[in-house]
Parts: sequence; C-alpha cells; structure tokens
Amino acid sequence: MSESKWIPTVCYQCKAECAILARVEDGVVREVKGNPRARGKMCVKGMAGITTLYSQERLKHPMKRVGERGEGKFVRIGWDEAMNIMETKLRELRKRGEGHKFTYSMFPHSTSDPKWRFVNAMGGFITTGLPHCDSAKIMAHLHTFGCFPNHHIAPMYYTVPKGGVMILSGRHPFGCLDDACVPRDILDAKERGAKLVVIDPIFRTEAGKADWWIPIRPGGDAALFLGMCNHLLTKGLHDKAFCDKWVRPGDMDGLMAFIKDKTPAAMSRICDVPARDIVKLAEMCAAAPSVCVDAFKSIMYGNAMDWGHAWSIFLVITGNLDNPGGQPMPEIAPMAPVPPVPPPPNLKELGYHRTGPNRSRFDHYTFFLQPTWYAAQAVREGSLKVFFASECNPALSEMGSGEWREAMTLKDRNGNYALELFVLTEIMPSETMKWADLVLPDQTNFERWELLYMPWWYNFGHTAAVCQPVVKPVGESRHANRVMIDLGKRMFPEYFAFKDDVEYYDIELSGIGMSMRKMLDGGAIWSPGTVGFRKYEDAGRFNTPSGRIELEWKMYGDIGQQWPSPELPLEFRRNADKYPFILVNFRTIFLNNTGAWSQNNAQLRDPVSGIDANPVLLNPVDAARLGIADGDMVTVASATGSVRLPAALTERIKPGCAGLIHGFGQTMGKVASRGAWAGDNELIADAGSHLDEQDLRGGEAHVSTRVKITK
Amino acid sequence: MKQLSIMVDLDRCIGCKTCIVACRNHHGLVNHETAMPEGMSHYLRVESELTGTFPKLAEDNWVVMCQQCRKPPCVKACAAGAISKDAQTGIVRIDREKCTGAGTCIEKCPYGVIQFNAEGRFAHKCELCYDRVVHGQEPVCVEVCLADALRFGEREILLMQAEATGKKLLKKRSTQSILYVKRAD
Repeated sequence: MSESKWIPTVCYQCKAECAILARVEDGVVREVKGNPRARGKMCVKGMAGITTLYSQERLKHPMKRVGERGEGKFVRIGWDEAMNIMETKLRELRKRGEGHKFTYSMFPHSTSDPKWRFVNAMGGFITTGLPHCDSAKIMAHLHTFGCFPNHHIAPMYYTVPKGGVMILSGRHPFGCLDDACVPRDILDAKERGAKLVVIDPIFRTEAGKADWWIPIRPGGDAALFLGMCNHLLTKGLHDKAFCDKWVRPGDMDGLMAFIKDKTPAAMSRICDVPARDIVKLAEMCAAAPSVCVDAFKSIMYGNAMDWGHAWSIFLVITGNLDNPGGQPMPEIAPMAPVPPVPPPPNLKELGYHRTGPNRSRFDHYTFFLQPTWYAAQAVREGSLKVFFASECNPALSEMGSGEWREAMTLKDRNGNYALELFVLTEIMPSETMKWADLVLPDQTNFERWELLYMPWWYNFGHTAAVCQPVVKPVGESRHANRVMIDLGKRMFPEYFAFKDDVEYYDIELSGIGMSMRKMLDGGAIWSPGTVGFRKYEDAGRFNTPSGRIELEWKMYGDIGQQWPSPELPLEFRRNADKYPFILVNFRTIFLNNTGAWSQNNAQLRDPVSGIDANPVLLNPVDAARLGIADGDMVTVASATGSVRLPAALTERIKPGCAGLIHGFGQTMGKVASRGAWAGDNELIADAGSHLDEQDLRGGEAHVSTRVKITK
Repeated sequence: MKQLSIMVDLDRCIGCKTCIVACRNHHGLVNHETAMPEGMSHYLRVESELTGTFPKLAEDNWVVMCQQCRKPPCVKACAAGAISKDAQTGIVRIDREKCTGAGTCIEKCPYGVIQFNAEGRFAHKCELCYDRVVHGQEPVCVEVCLADALRFGEREILLMQAEATGKKLLKKRSTQSILYVKRAD
C-alpha cells in the first residue's frame, strides 16, 4: 500500500510565501493546497508549483559559461569548481579593498536571510526588488508615522467592518502577489457591507467587483488624495480629536496652509477625476468607520514619494492608523540574533555606489537599504565588479533592458569584462542566465529549508512558519542559502560557525521560545493570534523622532519637499506630443512577474489555466484614430526602446493609455520561448542614465514611460 | 430528485483558474515533466463576459465544468454504454473499462467539457470528484476556490441557500444541474 500524507510547508512560487500543505505520495508531491491553520488559501501559481518542481527543464547541475556573455553557452562543472571560482574572485576583490563592489540581488526572506549575512560579512551590498517596487511607500509611512509596510503588507481586509471603505489605487490584490487569502478577505468584507473603491486606469477583476471604479489618469493619485484632504480639512470633516492628540504640534497648521489651494477642482485638472467625484469619495471616507488604502503600481511612478506622502496624510487626518479596517502597523517576531552578527556596510562612508545622474542630491534623503539599483550604471562606473543574483531575473526586471545587456558585455581595454564575475542561482532556464558566468541549480520550496517571520508574509503580529523539504532534491540542486553558508564557512568562519541552515534557524527561533523541532511538531506554524490595534496608545507614542505623527517632512525643507507635490510624474508631463500614450504595465495572477520559473511553467502559460499572450491594450477610440484594428501588428516605441506587438482593442483601458503585462520577454526555456512576446522593460528607460527625477523625489521613476504607437 | 451540484457565485468568481490546476493535480491530468501549454486535459474552464463601454463597464467570470445534465446527451451517444447517470448522486460517470474511445460523447456534449486521453484511448471528465464526495469531502475545486465562489451540496439545498442569501439564479446558465447565481439587484 502506498503512503500518502499532507505535510505543512511554505509556497515560493511568488514572494508572498503562503503557508501550504503538500500531499506527498511515495516520495512524490501530488497535490498542494493552502494550510488551514494559517489562512487556508493557495493561488494558481502555487498550485502549478508541482510543474516547476518536476519539469524536465529544471537545472540539475552547476554550469560554467563558455563563449561570450549573451551567447548562453555552458559546460557542466562540479560544485567544488563552482565554489572555488566564487571564493577566488571574492577573496581577490577583498584583497583589492573592493569588497563593497560586490552586490547580491535577491529578495531576502527575512532580515536575517543567510545570503544577506554573507553579503554583510563580505562588506558588499544587497539589492532587492524593494527599492524598485515600494521604497516610496515604505519611506513615506516611516517618515510620517514610523511604520514599516511594503507591497506585500496589504491592509488587513479581514478586519474591515461593515461600512468600511477599501481603496485600491493602482493595486491588483486579486493577482495574489500577497497572501492568497486576500481575494477572499476582500470579498468577505464586501459581503459584510464594506465598500470597495478601485482607482485604476485599467478595468480589471478588482474593478469588476468594485462598488465604484474611478479610471484615473496614471500618476494622478497624489492629486486625487490631496483634493480629498482639502475637502475634508476645509469642511471640518477630518478626525480632529485624533489629529489634536497625535499630530506633532504645528503640523496641522502647516498642512492647512499647504492644502489651501489643493481644491478638488484644481486637483481634478491633474488627475482627470471629476471634482464632484473627489468630493464624493472624501465624504464617503469621512462617514465610514474605517478606510484602508493600498497601492502598488501607482507607488512606483516618479512622483511616488509625493503620492506616498499624500496617502499618509490622508490616513492620518481620517484617523485610520492601526485600527480595524485601516492601515496596519505590523510587528516583526523577535527572533534571536546569531552572534557574532556581521555589520552591514557603512553607507555614509562608502556612499551609494548606484545613483542617478544627480548623485550628489542623494545626500538629502534618508534611505533604508540602498536607493534604487541601476546595475548598468554601476558597471559602467566601475562600482560593481562581482554580481550574484538569486530568485530574480534582472535581464527582464531591470528597467532599460538594452542598457543592462550592454553593461553585462562591457569590456575594458584589455578585453576583460568590466563586470568581473556574474553568478546566478536558478531553478529553470532564465533570460539572465545568458549573461551569467556561473549558473548554480537552485531548489524549489519543496526541497529546501527556510524560516519565514516577516510582515510581508501577511502576518501582522508575531508569526513564524517553516518551509521544509518534502521530497528529495532534484539532481545536484542546492538551495542558494546553503551555498552561501558554505561559502561563508570557507571565507568568514567566524560568522558562519553554526552547523547549517537548520541550526541557524534553530538559534533564531530561541528568541520566541521555539525551536525547529517544536515548530515542526506544531504543524510548522507558530502564531500567538493577536495583531493588536492602536498600539501607539499603549506605547504613548509613534515610532518617529518626535514620537508624534510628522506630517511635515522638515528634513526635506532645504529641497522644497516638506509637503507633497500634486503634479504628475515629470516623465508624464513632457513629450506628450511626441509620445502620446502613457504606458500602463500591469501584473497578472498567472506570473510571478519576470520570475523565470513561472515563465517556464507549462500550466501558467497554458491558455486554459494561465496566460499565454501579451498584446498591447488600446482603447477602441484611440485605435480608430490611428487606424489600428484588433490584432494588427504595431510598433510601441518609447524614447529609449521599441517593440513589435499585436494590438488588442478593449474598453477596459482608459483612452490615452497603452496596457502591457509586466514580465514577458523571456527567450530561454521551451515553454517561455514558444511565445516570447515582449518585456516592458525594453521600453522603460534605464533610470540610472535617463530619468531626471528618479529617487530625487524619494521614489522610483522606472515605470513612468510615455510611448507612441504606429502600425 | 437526488442530485449533487456545485453553485457558482458570480459575485465572487474572479476567474483566477486556481480550481483548474488543483483539479489537474488531484486527478493526475498533467505529466509535470513533459507538460507543454495547450496540451493538457482540464475538467474546468473559466469564461468571462465584459459588457458596456468605457467607463461604464461590468464583468462576470464563472467556471464551466460538466453540467451533470438531467438527460445527458453523452449517455445517449455512447454506443458502448460506458456512461451513466448515477441514481444516488445524479453524477454522470464514465466507465473507463467499457469506454471504447469512439469519441461520440465528446461530439455530442453541448458544453465541450469531455476530455480524451489519447494514450489510453478513453473519454474522461469532471465527475464532481465522486471518489471524494462519497466519503464526505467536497470536490477539490470547491475546497481550493481562492474566492470561496463555489459551494457544493444537494441541488435543492443550494437553491434554498441562494435564496436565503439574496442570490438570484441565472436561469439561462443553470439549465442542468450546476447552478450559477448572482446578487439580485
């Protein structure tokens, strides 16, 4: 009789990392589903994870490049040789005093991710998707009320009361890049009588379920919310008691003076939402027991910091902080450090080795981690010499794909690559692989250990979960964490004295009175069950320098950014005659963005169970004007790149916008390459050399792109 | 009448296709090693309809599986007598041992939901997870539905639940045993 059992572990088909159960029968994963002890849901990507695990296309052994970068030619090597190549180059770099010219691009699974530990021991830099995706949201909330959200920390929809308002502004939570329970929780809240308002230039599933769809002009979110703030404050509809008690003295007066001319009528001209609708939404929010706001794509535009600031002010004046249905202020489970802890690089001393054209102006800002990563620029400037990447696909995810490719193949006078070593860990063939010197076979979540305890895991209180191997690893694959621990043991034994990853997690878990053994005995989940509301009342303060909510960002006074600008991103305000369309690049539930493993997953690229097309979406009104029919091949061109794609005409998209799914464009792997379509980053400028406002308004400009469309 | 059914709530279905892949996994419909797009069997599919013009738009999504017809054309079409409607559950079942692979059921199915296994030369389809439901479990699609848009039970009870929660039966889509409902407004 065969043996079959459900084993608790964690999904990693995307970065949401949902707690799941895997049914293993005779050593083979047959089925997966959400873990009912956690939030019980798993999305289509997760369900298709078994196809990733067992695909013939899995990379099974380490490979070394032969031929030139970009040719994608490799020979099989052993792990010893791979480890020696990495160790030799990294030692040489440190000997030259250039440890800081090592960068590892990854999504850290926790603040104590072993790969990050190695980077710190090496004296290098970590780069993550966070500065790309939501540095503005994080910094705006940190500056204003001292909490640390990111795009995986959605509002707690399960706490939204009857009558509460849920605002999604350029956010597609049914796309499950946060916990798979979010669609259910939003729909449940609606059934309780909460209202769903979707602000978006594209009508997508969320808009289809919404009580109200507001097709805004892209980048107009700051203006819309400032218009609402104006109405609330001038009509006395704001939460005065909350503001009196918690806002730093003087800030409300400053806000009143600033907001005076941000009338709904004035803001309507910027965001293209009728003034009466701005008033209506403001009054709807003022009357509601709670309002939560979530944004994703809109918080990546060049005016992201302004939008984040306007959004933060709105939450404050409506009293929606750390309340049921409002903005959560999550906590991180207090794991024990594993001493001795290697210190992170001193950014003040080393400087940021990747910046935009106005490098000196960076000093005006406060960043967490590094500011946005521009690999191409760093290679050109000689500040990036050794590059490692895991669980990311920079060939497609870096804006300015063309410049990135050029930088990877840039050579010095002696004919040596400027980027001296490029190491990639990968589960499936990826676009990035073509440029790598070493490709190391990584493991899926079904084959590896991982400890998850971060708020981006939709845990708002103290929570932890263990990802455990449920089957034997495929081929010679090794998890990137284990590779970096092994490399750490060779190079920095003082920081890697623990036995292995499991012991490392064991030590960390002692901080909450847990161990790996206890966790596994307890269903691989630990969750005391509370998140706590209005924790600032217990603490008597917010986590800001003044202990109060800081609406005015005084530290940016010298550059005139103490209050948010309502203007559209600079890139949308100019060249409208030459490039009349605003590129709206969006995400789908079927792909982990540019993640190579979802692009090469047969079930996710199957038209029945996934998505297999990425035409450019145009409103029929625009198409008629240009003489474009449905299915016509068109050229979509920006100032820095162009692609050929079929046009799909749809009423879903606001006139003046061109829609494209983010993440396509892969030419490696049998599944992905059968219809490569095009990557949006072919059109988006490399912010390191082209965009003027990137980061200087604190955020990210990489998706603010205008295009023209011709037959 | 004895009839098990699934009720699809169009207010909740988001067209995410999670059910399709979970169903494939449970029933072993995919060879994960060699799978390529467009070549895999599926017992469910998602349909959607967008109506209106910008900016006044509405959209519905729903899933289509075997409708467990009251008088199944596939039963009539099968010369081998391999298809029957189970008297106890109302589930239309295909006996793989008796199936000759003639494919007439596939031609006659008005919903296009019957699949053909070329290797084993047999027809197969959604049987409401017969092997689960007779042991008190829900069909897999209902259990895993991301949006809790699917509900399983006896048809008449589901109809009562729909009425009690203010849902209207979409009669044109619900002519057989699977029920499609939406908020009455």
